[in-house]
Amino acid sequence: MKLQTKTSLNFLTFTLFVFLLGIIAFYFLLRLQVNQNINVELEKRKNNILEEISSVSSGTKLPPNHNEKILMNKIQDGSYPEMYYGDTIIFDHGKQKFTPYRQLGFEAEFNDQQYYIQIFKSLEETDNLIIRIFLIMTVLVILIIITLLIMNNFTSRYAWKVFYDTIGKLSTYDVTIKKELDLKQSDVKEFDDLNRVLLRMTKKIKNDYINLKEFTENASHEIQTPLAIINSKMELLLQSGDLTDKQLKSVADTHDAANRLSRLNKTLLLLAKIENRQFPDSSPLEPEKIIQKQLDQLEDLTFSKKLAVEIQKKEDCLVQMNPYLGEILFSNLVKNAIRHNMEGGKLEVDIMNKSLVISNTGSQQELREEDLFKRFYKASKSSESLGLGLSIVQKIAEVYGFTLSYKYKEGMHAFTIDFSSAQV
Amino acid sequence: MKILIIEDEVNLANSIEEYLEVEGHVCELAYNFGEAKEKIISHQYDCMVVDINLPDGSGLDLISYIKEQNISYGIIIISARNSLENRIEGLEIGADSYLTKPFHLAELNAQLKSINRRMNFGGTNDIVFNEIKLLPDEFKVFIHQKELILTRKEYDLLLFFISNKNKVITKTGLAEHLWGDYMDSADSFDFIYTHIKNLRKKLLSMGCSDYIKTVYRVGYKFEEN
Repeated sequence: MKLQTKTSLNFLTFTLFVFLLGIIAFYFLLRLQVNQNINVELEKRKNNILEEISSVSSGTKLPPNHNEKILMNKIQDGSYPEMYYGDTIIFDHGKQKFTPYRQLGFEAEFNDQQYYIQIFKSLEETDNLIIRIFLIMTVLVILIIITLLIMNNFTSRYAWKVFYDTIGKLSTYDVTIKKELDLKQSDVKEFDDLNRVLLRMTKKIKNDYINLKEFTENASHEIQTPLAIINSKMELLLQSGDLTDKQLKSVADTHDAANRLSRLNKTLLLLAKIENRQFPDSSPLEPEKIIQKQLDQLEDLTFSKKLAVEIQKKEDCLVQMNPYLGEILFSNLVKNAIRHNMEGGKLEVDIMNKSLVISNTGSQQELREEDLFKRFYKASKSSESLGLGLSIVQKIAEVYGFTLSYKYKEGMHAFTIDFSSAQV
Repeated sequence: MKILIIEDEVNLANSIEEYLEVEGHVCELAYNFGEAKEKIISHQYDCMVVDINLPDGSGLDLISYIKEQNISYGIIIISARNSLENRIEGLEIGADSYLTKPFHLAELNAQLKSINRRMNFGGTNDIVFNEIKLLPDEFKVFIHQKELILTRKEYDLLLFFISNKNKVITKTGLAEHLWGDYMDSADSFDFIYTHIKNLRKKLLSMGCSDYIKTVYRVGYKFEEN
């Protein structure tokens, strides 16, 4: 939930709650006030009536009804209350409906006879008034709440602008790109603090990243150069005709070992670079073409092992990735499928729209998936490979968000890459 | 050919010089940027072997300088930097070829020869070794004036051998020349053997002498008897 929606919702629930309580209190207070007014009025009329009664000489008839509702009952046994105010409902014949009345009951003496007199005052108008006031108040309060909400939204949007700007810039920020993070100045202290901390952090991260990058590159450079010297000296040594066979062999072995070391160094550097995501640019690639090219280059291998190679393109497949990494990814899988194959075996490539399966015949037992992608893991001890090929494949898949899985079925070792979960 | 070798590692520079001078090239060495620039200004060379990382500057700047002066040099970059971008940058700036350290001297030598052939455009491009004649532009081989049909790999092998004649070439060097990064060298030794066996058979069948010698457990040597 967005911060603004969240605060607005909180504001709304709180004000609605307060408003509800307030309006209930308001209603009862208003009612009380109105009742008090009416009571005063009824009291006045009572006094009038009593005055009239006492001014009329005894023996005469009751004074004329003032066209107002007055009920007079003789008190027989004193069961009437002394004097009270109350609400009642009376059927109005004129309007054919019940209307609310306020009543006042009191005793009076007339012609030596005790009467209980009830006078009434219609509440219809005052009730209408109360409802109208009540409605007006409600509408006003709702309007005020809405205006407050809108105003709050506007001001907070303005106040949080820098914050959202920062979030937007952070989400697109990439350490591997040279551009520095450029955050807006804010007049809000907290946001300014946040931006300052973020700038300091990204600067530190970037520096670390650059240092690491430089270190790996420099380390590789520093190692390759002595290796180059070793190799060149060995090659020169081989040219001198006065070496015995034994010496020649030693020189050649040293030369090969240096070569192997160099390959290892290059591969580890590549792994580090992939981990550091130093291959940012990408373009759409066709796996089929890359695999075909690899198979052409490795024709000697497939030919000598008499492999039946089959590429099945079921759907068009385009993968968005760095071309160099793409080549490494597919070539490592192809090489793997050839190297661990058996004489006269099969190598199948199935290309679907969003996935690719490379399967090969080979050893008769299933391999442990969790070991397969480990660095320096070798299924066969005799193999001269470095045991890094599949770790590189997995690293590349990881960088692009592809899913890499292994299955053993009906004598075929199948590696599947699923491109559908790719992060763009 | 007159070659300027720009490399800050004295040992490596000396190895290159030694290997190339046997081939009859005249080599001069420069161990840093300043020295190299001085030599480029005051002397004329046919070819330049240049390291990118120099203590006082970048080899790329030297190449740019040469291109600005409009001097036609063959340029080979030797660098420990292996990434695609570095390669592309080097070739775009005008280098003819890019070798990653560590490289085989035989490979460097073959590259230099190929550049040399390309630069001598007016003259003949043919490579002649006794009865063998190669037409590199057409990928054709003639033995005693008769055409010999070779596969691409066999042709590459023959050209590499003739470029490095009388030199011991290790199996790894051959493997890297033929397959580059595609194949791990350990996998490829058998195929080198097969290709060489086939090439030798074809050459002999055309009445060519047997020039390819096996150096036991090390590699091969292409030499006159």
